[in-house]
Amino acid sequence: MSESASTAEESRRIAEEARDRVRFEEEALELSDQVYRVARRLAGSREEAEDLVQDTYARAFRAWQQYTPGTNLRAWLLRILTNLNIDRGRRAQRSPDTQPLEEGDYFLYNKLESTLPDENPDEERVIERLSQNAVVEALAEVPHDFRDVIVLVDIGEFSYADAAQILDIPVGTVMSRLHRGRRILKQRLAEKAVAA
Amino acid sequence: MGSGCQDCEEMMQPYVDGMLSDAEVEEAREHLERCPWCDKRYRFEERLRHFVRVATDEPMPPGLREKLESLRTTRPTA
Repeated sequence: MSESASTAEESRRIAEEARDRVRFEEEALELSDQVYRVARRLAGSREEAEDLVQDTYARAFRAWQQYTPGTNLRAWLLRILTNLNIDRGRRAQRSPDTQPLEEGDYFLYNKLESTLPDENPDEERVIERLSQNAVVEALAEVPHDFRDVIVLVDIGEFSYADAAQILDIPVGTVMSRLHRGRRILKQRLAEKAVAA
Repeated sequence: MGSGCQDCEEMMQPYVDGMLSDAEVEEAREHLERCPWCDKRYRFEERLRHFVRVATDEPMPPGLREKLESLRTTRPTA
């Protein structure tokens, strides 16, 4: 290859990379609202969530070449975010492995139904016993390991496989934590509905 | 709570998640058809999942998008 040809090749490569980088940043920013919504429930407060999202984007913009185009960018960003969240001392307040045995899946319904005067009420009426605040508070009370999975799968609508990759745990663990986490959530909800 | 309800309760999450085998789905459906008690609890579970998603939804606060834009290393395309 002549010198001018290799220079032309090089400048084409640089231009291409610059274009890829612009595209990456724009696609990542397009997802910021969705990333924030998940971050908000992973973090303890709005401020914490905002900080996490900013740190995530700062890191993502630096490490953009580690992202494989065509793969799930939202999952890639959330992976950075959950790692940052853990780095920030989340490990220190890690929940113990042994949780109290949770109630079954019908527990919440049975509890809510018992607070209604009519026999055999419509499930629509039953769910009205729950307030938005109760849900937010109950979710915040679910231990981190379980909550992370609920937030990713039930709120962020990630697949089990994506959630497993984001959290760096096996898919089977995602499924078992989800199962138990939802039961813990329902238990917390039952306490709040009855207390109200 | 009748016979089979306990099994049905155990199958609820994987059923709603679409994680059961065809035979298990068939088994659950058979039970639900003749058991309004469980059927109601299954429908409640679906509503609850939706409600959890909606109730916890909080959009990005104003100003954050601009902060993220300022972190860019490239200039936005027009």
